[in-house]
Amino acid sequence: MKYMLLIYDNADTRRLFFGPEGKALSEEIDALMAELTASGELIGGEALADPAQTRSIRPEDGMPVVTDGPLAETKEHFGGYLIVDCETPERATEIASRWPNARFVAMEVRPIMNVGGGQEM
Amino acid sequence: VTRSRAEEVEGLLRRLAPQVLAALARRHGQFDACEDAIQEALLAASRQWPDQGIPDKPRAWLTAVATRRLIEEIRADRARRAREDAAVEPEERHEPAPDEWQTAQSDDTLTLLFLCCHPALTPPSQIALTLRAVGGLTTRQIASAFLVPDATMAQRISRAKQTIKASGLTFDRPAETERAERLRAVRHVLYLVFNEGYTTTAGPELQRVELAEEAIRLTWMLHRLMPTDGETNGLLALMLLTHARRAARVSSDGMLIPLADQDRDLWDRRAIAEGVALVEQALATSPIGPYQLQAAIAAVHAEADSTDDTDWRQILSLYTLLIRLAPNPVFALNRAVAVAMADGAAAGLAELAAIEGDERLAGHHRVEAVRAHMLELAGDRARAASAYRAASRLSTSLPEQRYLESRAAAL
Repeated sequence: MKYMLLIYDNADTRRLFFGPEGKALSEEIDALMAELTASGELIGGEALADPAQTRSIRPEDGMPVVTDGPLAETKEHFGGYLIVDCETPERATEIASRWPNARFVAMEVRPIMNVGGGQEM
Repeated sequence: VTRSRAEEVEGLLRRLAPQVLAALARRHGQFDACEDAIQEALLAASRQWPDQGIPDKPRAWLTAVATRRLIEEIRADRARRAREDAAVEPEERHEPAPDEWQTAQSDDTLTLLFLCCHPALTPPSQIALTLRAVGGLTTRQIASAFLVPDATMAQRISRAKQTIKASGLTFDRPAETERAERLRAVRHVLYLVFNEGYTTTAGPELQRVELAEEAIRLTWMLHRLMPTDGETNGLLALMLLTHARRAARVSSDGMLIPLADQDRDLWDRRAIAEGVALVEQALATSPIGPYQLQAAIAAVHAEADSTDDTDWRQILSLYTLLIRLAPNPVFALNRAVAVAMADGAAAGLAELAAIEGDERLAGHHRVEAVRAHMLELAGDRARAASAYRAASRLSTSLPEQRYLESRAAAL
């Protein structure tokens, strides 16, 4: 089963990663990525740019209208994701719990939809 | 090069792959190096044979190319080690005549299956290695069948081979005392491959290996290696009887069709006849087991003209036996459906209430789907609709969601 692990940031996390603790945090992430690569569980992942660079598109009178900035100003924002293929949801949750952001901001684990199949009832 | 020529070559290569690999591994040990060498030989053959024709002795050709590759690799490896270690001991040269071919192939193929499904490997590694080493598929084909990147699948295969090496596993037949357990592991891997194919693809997907068909092909192979093994025959029968419904289970627009609404004229009668014969033979001659019972249940469905015409009481007693033999909450859920069909919706709902507390069913969309179905049978339309919607929210398959939403909307 494939899961997306959503990584949340806040205004402090970037500073944290560039500060004196940054090296240890990066090593922690490198080690976890190496583990997921070696186990054949890692499908992919990306980090997102600062939310200041967001453009939002929302309907107005049924037409898409573009504005600068995120949909809502929040303390926590979506900062990036990993996609893993794990045998159990517990395993996906364990990986998310070990990502440093789980200690500082938040992580979410969500199953990825299977578009092609399903079981007849 | 015509498409049929390329297909003919591919079919031949995939039949020969496990035989050549097994023979090589038996002679030389070093399973991981042999596996790499075979892959290169298969690649060379798939490039050359469609244009230049299939050689007179294709197996000997593959063995020769793979052996040459293996020897080159062993030499390169020794040279590396010699450079690294000044005090290298002189070693004997290891160059077998490539056309020597030993028989006892069926034993070899079985040993190969046992090794690929070894319990030291994780299930994803067992599956990947079995499909490559025994199924003769390329890493890319396996990756695309499982919808993962090539690099991810390559890593699973290489991890499997590393585990084999690190655990000191050799290309030997398992001891008689371990055999039953190891055979159970092989059947389980084949079952997982079938299930992956059955539940992740609806309708024909061109350019993708059909995992359900591949699982059936490998299980036929296992059946030929041990024709009197009851559970292997039960597994093969279960796959054939389930796969027989493939043309009827999805509509032309990709909608899942439940068993009750399937056009049974579309069921593959030949596969059904084969499956029924296999399971009847197994039940009559071998100790009973979970695959045989699941196949027997599938056979009861296959032989009925409609849901109304189905012998639900027989299905119920088969499920009762199955749960006694192999307790499993999903079987219990299926048994509750049989209770509803045999004794009415109220009895089914009572059975569901008794089993749904099992924590292994927590959050499982099938619990709500079964509840919805029973409530619909009972005529409780409002609660049925809300259970269908609850099931839809819990499902992780788009076609399933679409089906469940459509049932809710119809109420």
